[in-house]
Amino acid sequence: MKNGPLFFLGLVSAVGLSWAGIVVGTHGQLGRLTSYYDNGESQAYPAGLPGLAAQGQDVYRSLGCASCHTEQVRRPDFGSDQARGWGDRQSVARDYIGQSPVQLGESRIGPDLANLGARKPSPPSADELMALLYSGKGAMPAYRFLFHTHRIYGQASAKALLPMNAAMRPAPGYEILPTERAELLVAYLQSLNQSYEYPEARPAPAAKAGQAKEAAK
Amino acid sequence: MTTFTPAADSTDTVPADTASRCPLLLLLGSGLAWLLVSGVFALINALQLDSASFLAGCRLLTYGHIHALAETTFVYGWLGNAGLALSIWILGRLGGEALRATPWMSAGGLFWNLGVLIGVIGIAAGDATSYPLLQLPRYAQPLLLVSYGAVAISGVLAWTGRRRRVMYAAQWYAVAPLFFFPWLFSVAQVLLLWSPVRGTLQAVVQGWYAQGLWTLWAAPLALAGAYYVLPRANGKTLPAYDLAWLGFWALLFVGGWTGGRHLIGGPVPAWIPTVAIVAATLLLSHYLIVFLNLRGVFAGGSLAVRFIGFGLGAYFLGGIFDAITAMRVVAVATEFTYCDEAMRQLAYYGAASMILYGVLYFALPRVSGRPWASAALARGHFALAAIGLALLVFSLAMAGVIQGRELNDAQVSFASIAAHTHPWLLLATAAQALLLLGNLLLAVNFTTSACSSCCSATSREALAS
Repeated sequence: MKNGPLFFLGLVSAVGLSWAGIVVGTHGQLGRLTSYYDNGESQAYPAGLPGLAAQGQDVYRSLGCASCHTEQVRRPDFGSDQARGWGDRQSVARDYIGQSPVQLGESRIGPDLANLGARKPSPPSADELMALLYSGKGAMPAYRFLFHTHRIYGQASAKALLPMNAAMRPAPGYEILPTERAELLVAYLQSLNQSYEYPEARPAPAAKAGQAKEAAK
Repeated sequence: MTTFTPAADSTDTVPADTASRCPLLLLLGSGLAWLLVSGVFALINALQLDSASFLAGCRLLTYGHIHALAETTFVYGWLGNAGLALSIWILGRLGGEALRATPWMSAGGLFWNLGVLIGVIGIAAGDATSYPLLQLPRYAQPLLLVSYGAVAISGVLAWTGRRRRVMYAAQWYAVAPLFFFPWLFSVAQVLLLWSPVRGTLQAVVQGWYAQGLWTLWAAPLALAGAYYVLPRANGKTLPAYDLAWLGFWALLFVGGWTGGRHLIGGPVPAWIPTVAIVAATLLLSHYLIVFLNLRGVFAGGSLAVRFIGFGLGAYFLGGIFDAITAMRVVAVATEFTYCDEAMRQLAYYGAASMILYGVLYFALPRVSGRPWASAALARGHFALAAIGLALLVFSLAMAGVIQGRELNDAQVSFASIAAHTHPWLLLATAAQALLLLGNLLLAVNFTTSACSSCCSATSREALAS
């Protein structure tokens, strides 16, 4: 190789091709994805994140939660995602159109959270999530800096943490209050819900999927 | 048949090196400083995995923050500085002229390190972007982009102004990343941070960037060094050299497509992982050619050659593991586990960093005009780095295998997974400590060598005046 401009052209096309194929190609496929309007329920899915939850997503990003938790459920026959109760269907691209940044995560030191707000039989309550954040559990550290302990003046605050375990019992006359960040984070965690079945998310048996394609033609 | 003649610069110091000494030493020195910082972060992170309560009370040092900090300081702090310095030095050597635009290199180097520092403070304050390998906060990134350009000018000028029109393989591999990084980095910045694309397209862009950062930037930076040093260190021509161009273009054209293997089963179009599986298999041709060219490294030789030999071994192993774990049947057991971390360490630390250590051991005496201050420290560094890396990758992989198997069994709780991986994670912590110690030896050796060369230069000037 001695032709500099030709070499440079090769470099440009190496990056350009992978960019065009992967980024532009996916954009063509997913870029115009909109929410799905369910006529029966007169509602669009995914429902946008409520204001508190949207701010909570930023707390989730800021603390780096995504370094231990994923937010993506794989299809029922791939891994144990369904058996662990993380979701009855796989996550699809439409689930994420309202989120930014999308934090799919790449490590499962802790459980998947994509459907935390739709856990069966019942999703964790705000009190339980606060207790988890305050005391930690197993490999999950305690995020004490999301809380502060106050002396009770007059009446105890309605927001004070319920003492769910021994570590959460403050000295008499004191109460543990969540900071705003803790409240936002819990609002976000409770909002995580991918239970709505989009047409593309329904697991179709292999034979029927073939027939459906035929019918669509 | 094209043969590779190592005679292009057989003299140990050419005048070219004295002019560029300061900026090169600045980049190398700051790279080593970041390497130590990154080692400390990695050790803290490993301790946090061993015991969740370690530093848990500090809001700046959550596991997520430290994880991002260790990765950022290693990739942008250490590999960025040292990789750039060494590839520009190689381009200068092979270009046959003194390096030009060296003030730009110094200024760019200063601002690059300022950018990394701003990024580190930002990540600790909670401004990480949450995109793996692109964790630097938005406000730090434009500065890094501009300063990279300023440093790279020297390398590009050395390449365009080369005396000999035909390029050596080391030149291809050294020039390519100078251009690739700004392209990848600016596209990722715009599409993820300034005008973010919607939904899971973000994950696709991140995957494309992260893969590009490895195959189009870190790997070529390291290979440039390997292709440059090996024939000079053992005085032999490279076998099968006329195949080398094929290996180069295979890496460039195929490598960028392999990123989707981290998205297997994820909420993205299924063709992305499928293309990645095909590409990861095709890429084996690149590894084969590089192996044919550089197999002489495994015959042993000087310390630099031994470092590069270890690095290339890790490089080939990493390529094979990439192709294997890209398969869906394997990925179902390795995805989201410590196996991913093991493979990242194998690539960035085991391959790229070890090769760069080797190139550094070869280059510094030629840059500074003085031999290394201590051969014992260098040997100690090799022993600690080799043992540390083997231990780190092995223990993380074992933890990953256990974690993957137990994650796939819905009856096993997360508490028992943590308990079963714990012994291996302890081993990984010990490995991080060894690596940090080894890098400390390197830093001491580098500082004494570089200082003695600076002092001798000043004393010579004093005598002359």
